[in-house]
Amino acid sequence: MKKELETIQSEVLDLLKEIKSSDALESLRIEYFGRKGKLTDVMKGMGKLSKDERPIIGKLANDVRATLTDAFEAAKVAMENQKQEQQLLAESIDITLPGRKPSYGKAHPVMQVLERIKTIFTRMGFQVVTGPEVETEYYNFDALNTPADHPARDLHDTFYLNDGQLLRTHNSPVQIRAMENQKPPLRIIVPGKAYRVDYDVSHTPMFHQVEGLLVDKHVTFSELKGVLVAFARQMFGDQTQMRFRPHFFPFTEPSAEVDITCTVCQGKGCRTCGHTGWIEILGAGAVDPEVFKAVNYDPEEVTGFAFGMGVERIANLQFRIPDIRTFYENDLRFLRQF
Amino acid sequence: MNISINWLKSYIDYDYSPKELADKLTMLGIEVESIKQLGTGLEGVVIGKVVSITHHPNADKLVLCQVDIGKSNTLQIVCGAPNVYEGMFAPVATIGSILPTGITIKRAKLRGEESHGMLCSEKELGISDDASGLMELSSDLTIGVSLTEALGLHDVIMELEITPNRPDCLSMLGVAREIRAETGNKIKYPDVTLLEGETDIAGLTSVTIDDPELCPRYAARLIQGVTVGESPSWLKQRLESIGVGVINNIVDITNFVLMEYGQPLHAFDYDKLFENRIIVRRAAEDEVITTLDEEERKLNSDMLVIADAEKPVALAGVMGGYDSEITESTSDVLLESANFQPANIRATSKKLGLHTEASYRFERGADPEVVISALDRASELIVQLAGGALCKGIVDVYPGKKEPSQIKLRSDRVNFILGTSIEAEEIEQILNRLGFGIERLPTKESTYQITIPSFRSDITREIDLIEEIARVHGYDNIPTTLPKGDIPIPTVNISVEVQQRIKHFLLGSGMMEAVNYSFNHPNCFDKIRLNDDNPLRDAIKLRNPLSPEMSTLRTTLLPSLLENAQRNHNHQINTIALFEMSSVFIKDKEPTRVAGILAGEMGGGVYGNPYRSPDFFDIKGIVEGALAVCGITDPIFQKTEEPTFHTGRNAEVLLGEKRIGIMGEVHPKVLENYELPYKAYLFELDIETCSRAADFSRRFEPIPVYPSIQRDLAIVVDNELQSDIPIEIINSTGGEWVESIRLFDVYEGDQVPDGKKSLAYTITYHSATETLTDKAVNDLHTKVVQKLNQELGAELRT
Repeated sequence: MKKELETIQSEVLDLLKEIKSSDALESLRIEYFGRKGKLTDVMKGMGKLSKDERPIIGKLANDVRATLTDAFEAAKVAMENQKQEQQLLAESIDITLPGRKPSYGKAHPVMQVLERIKTIFTRMGFQVVTGPEVETEYYNFDALNTPADHPARDLHDTFYLNDGQLLRTHNSPVQIRAMENQKPPLRIIVPGKAYRVDYDVSHTPMFHQVEGLLVDKHVTFSELKGVLVAFARQMFGDQTQMRFRPHFFPFTEPSAEVDITCTVCQGKGCRTCGHTGWIEILGAGAVDPEVFKAVNYDPEEVTGFAFGMGVERIANLQFRIPDIRTFYENDLRFLRQF
Repeated sequence: MNISINWLKSYIDYDYSPKELADKLTMLGIEVESIKQLGTGLEGVVIGKVVSITHHPNADKLVLCQVDIGKSNTLQIVCGAPNVYEGMFAPVATIGSILPTGITIKRAKLRGEESHGMLCSEKELGISDDASGLMELSSDLTIGVSLTEALGLHDVIMELEITPNRPDCLSMLGVAREIRAETGNKIKYPDVTLLEGETDIAGLTSVTIDDPELCPRYAARLIQGVTVGESPSWLKQRLESIGVGVINNIVDITNFVLMEYGQPLHAFDYDKLFENRIIVRRAAEDEVITTLDEEERKLNSDMLVIADAEKPVALAGVMGGYDSEITESTSDVLLESANFQPANIRATSKKLGLHTEASYRFERGADPEVVISALDRASELIVQLAGGALCKGIVDVYPGKKEPSQIKLRSDRVNFILGTSIEAEEIEQILNRLGFGIERLPTKESTYQITIPSFRSDITREIDLIEEIARVHGYDNIPTTLPKGDIPIPTVNISVEVQQRIKHFLLGSGMMEAVNYSFNHPNCFDKIRLNDDNPLRDAIKLRNPLSPEMSTLRTTLLPSLLENAQRNHNHQINTIALFEMSSVFIKDKEPTRVAGILAGEMGGGVYGNPYRSPDFFDIKGIVEGALAVCGITDPIFQKTEEPTFHTGRNAEVLLGEKRIGIMGEVHPKVLENYELPYKAYLFELDIETCSRAADFSRRFEPIPVYPSIQRDLAIVVDNELQSDIPIEIINSTGGEWVESIRLFDVYEGDQVPDGKKSLAYTITYHSATETLTDKAVNDLHTKVVQKLNQELGAELRT
């Protein structure tokens, strides 16, 4: 009997290896475990065994049954897995078909750069302030120490309106308005549009500026340098060098034009920088005492600095668009590039 | 302004290469915009004299020239130039020269005759485009000397940008003064020796200034019996090197001294002056003068003229008169050196559109104290170069003489402003080199009394002196520090927050951001069909627009977006989803608006994500979403009458009673005006009104503990019925158990009677306090159905 059990076990294990379908598995199960199955038959013969043999064979029979049950179970799981895999394989797709992109928009390239500039200055404690684009001669020129007969007015080709007002030629009038409304200390930036009568590959009649103003009891020219160097490093990279050149603006004294190492040649000299290695990016200076007087600040009590930069110019250091008027054509093939 | 390095070096010594000089000047505030090297490639070209000319035996158009090139060398050169003559001085390119044009000169045989070099035209030397004949040289040049040396062609020309506050730098001596500030080296002023004759000027002319405010100083000298002719080559070369055209010796001298001292001069033909005298006066209204450029100009009484006893002979400080100009027949020259009020010259020059080297300097402010030096210098040169006798004495009317101005300077203020620690010694040295007088005030430690030289009219305040110290000390040498003051506490700006949220939402919904000019063509209001009485038509006009397209300020963003769509369509871009956020200009206000357009196709247009046309509900969803991100969840969409939009597919967006914007399908006629072949959808919202209604506060609501139960409901109603009316009834009947109602289908067609439509809703029932039973929900749902039937005659669709 022992022999019979062992034969069944090895027979079934061999047969299981050959099984290909779940139907065949089920018939095999019935063939051995069914009511008239081969194992069932053997088990039925247990009663004829001697008292001594019965526990030994009984244990063997249970072991064989357990082994075979596990083997059947394993075969079944394997078969199901295989079946599932076959089905998954049948569901194969062409993965080179296009992805279904969620539609998303992009901010205008000039606005992207404007946002970056704003972020850098707000991190340094500057507050964003805005003001009107239609201005008076007073705010755009006179309060900024640029009286009517001043040659510096030639630097600005101004759009005048029928009612005698004008479109601001820079964002500086907002500085005047901010100082009129607030006591020092002030630490503001003024982003926004400005206008000049200019229309060629490097000028648009409307452009964007960010101006900054810091006024306090004791603000120095060295701090102006510090703030702008901090800005340039964040905007153009850690390695950026900055150069301050004396210049003239009616509303600052001392005044400076500020260059950074050329972004194309890294200062070696190329066509973009006119072989100087430097590119001008902004104008700046200590607030002129006349400007303080115009807003009833006492220039002996407070000092300050101001700066202003053209956003298109800074944007184009990166983008290198040959004709900056392209910015305002809003061609979607252009807008999608940035 | 252009400067010549050779010329500059005659006034000051320095050890800089041109590149170093350019850097120094730039860092002093005189930006060098370009550096041009002259005379390169002309190393083998020398001055030659054509000694004799014989016919070429084998060619009609060629001649054989014997050319003396010095050191007893005579070369035979074959030449075909039409202007060659015996005795002519011309440039000779010797064997081995490589000219700037790339020609290498070799010994050659031309039609059998030897040629040992080349006689050159200006074009061949790269000097100008003139190829008409040989470059004719002045016979006062030394034969055999290199051309670049003889003509001073070996030079460096720098183009300087002089800021409007520094008229004192508009001259060679002015630039030399800046170099003195940097180096401390002395300036070599021209050494003027005047040989005055016997005749006294006093009896020959006089000067009267009628308006001393506009003419603080007028001086004149008289030179009799001059010979007007060509200037010597050194003088022509100086002027030509910096781009000043040569005319005749007298005029060239005035221009030379202008460039040397920065003082404009004018030479009159003495005999053409009526009564030979000068009156400086305002022009009479409508008085006329023909200026040197032969333009007749009508004047007004704001303009200052130089007149003789009868008529204007020059436009003061701007341009001389044609009738009294120096000509070849001029014998006696009255030389003017004067000073005029800047604002007046500026106004005249601007009014007449006449900008000259003279007006450029006078309107920025010339130095009244240099008037006599410049006059004497020019008189000396005229006597030297044009002959004639200088009359004894000078006429100098100087009603506007001023004492030099003085300014107090605190040396600690210098360092306070700059954030530096510059020593008193350096401050004194800098100011000294700039030509300022320095006196330490005995009463106060570290305070100076500074005397301002007459050429620095831009220095009027202590801060101006501080800038001078800063720029000479060097901006590079000022430390770089961060601000030490407190950071002011920022205030909250709701409008900025609203703009940011809406912008992010629109970008996230797939719209690209556009930025347009703030200008419109005034016809855009017709193109978008605004009613004649629409206040948006009341746009601000520009007085000096660039073009009609940019002649009014925008009152609405919609025309720009339609133009953008048109432009993109013209370039075959037909998936148009754009928005813009910008101010518009309405009377004296500048409200911020956000507007958007959907047109053409939506979707990716790829397999699995096909194109589809946008419709009203796409644009409506965008508006709803944009408002929702600002916490505005209850906008009302109400049909309105805006001719811009499709008559049956438009809405004004209301918050309560307040209109915050409009939206809808674009009217077909407007589409036609913008040549758009497909439907387009627009919206425009006002940011300020949105900001007032915005609500960013959020409070936690418990996540439901009890399950919810959904019931679908399809009802058949009249097809005019607005879909929000059943929702109101469901809400009011269902009470607090109605968690949400979602319209998932609208159907008109076969299975629904004519004039009716089917609306299908999913209602979610939920209670915060108990698990709803099927029965309870069924009872409530039945009530809802009954109510819909009672109120709307709605039939359940089965």
